[in-house]
Amino acid sequence: MSKILDLDIIGIDSSYLTNMKPAENIILRIDKKHNPLSYYYPYLVVSDNVKTLDVKTDLFQVDPFQRRDAIKRKIKSGVGIEISIAFSKKLDASLAGKWLKEVKSIYEFCKLNDCQFVLSSGATSVNELVSARSFESLLKLIGITPINYWNEISEWLHTKNKVRWAHA
Amino acid sequence: MLNHREKRRYLAIMYDENTILSPFQLHEKIAERFKELFGAINCELAMLKLYDSKLGNILFVRCKLKYLDYLLVSLSMTQPSFTVVSLSGTIKRLRKNVTSLGIRNIKSIAK
Repeated sequence: MSKILDLDIIGIDSSYLTNMKPAENIILRIDKKHNPLSYYYPYLVVSDNVKTLDVKTDLFQVDPFQRRDAIKRKIKSGVGIEISIAFSKKLDASLAGKWLKEVKSIYEFCKLNDCQFVLSSGATSVNELVSARSFESLLKLIGITPINYWNEISEWLHTKNKVRWAHA
Repeated sequence: MLNHREKRRYLAIMYDENTILSPFQLHEKIAERFKELFGAINCELAMLKLYDSKLGNILFVRCKLKYLDYLLVSLSMTQPSFTVVSLSGTIKRLRKNVTSLGIRNIKSIAK
């Protein structure tokens, strides 16, 4: 499926992985570090609650409409801040426009705080996946150069994996 | 004066095969979201058109190249969900691309 969508790696939630064969183009999303599957796959520790945000968290899911004060206080440099496109599907026209504006401000927040901006499909099924070309159109609309985004995210993922293997 | 024909793009869009909506209704949903996000004028200028894909849960939609980014954003932000599986300059090439992807495989993954 990643080939069809023109994506090199797809992040998959650990709970969906029970009946899947190991593949090279998968990065696992886990909610805590000690997960047996983390020995077989590269992984990212994901959190969506600011209270559980700690040094082990790699990726923090945010709602673009939530206040950023608490995040700003707890977020550490190098953490990925994830925005899910799935959330925007349910919004009406004016809120969808506001969502795009907020995503742009989160991108600027990431730049200022040395965090990695991550735009994700938020898909829970194959039909909800977003192709690379669609991601690029969305990024362009927000005002982000797609090539810079892909380079930055690749480098960030590479760094995350490199640090992990260095300590293994 | 040159008879200039604007470039177009044809998209193959996968949708949930369990949906109760017909391809025509799904196309209406896409156009509706396009209008909401980018306005009625841009939607008309994009010249969206639905084609019969003859490939199960796949829609073929045409739009002007100039408005392709708008259409892709609209597709990403529409409920029900759509996934763009292929994009081409001609419908003939698009059909060939989608056939080479192995549509049966896509449908089995989608289940």
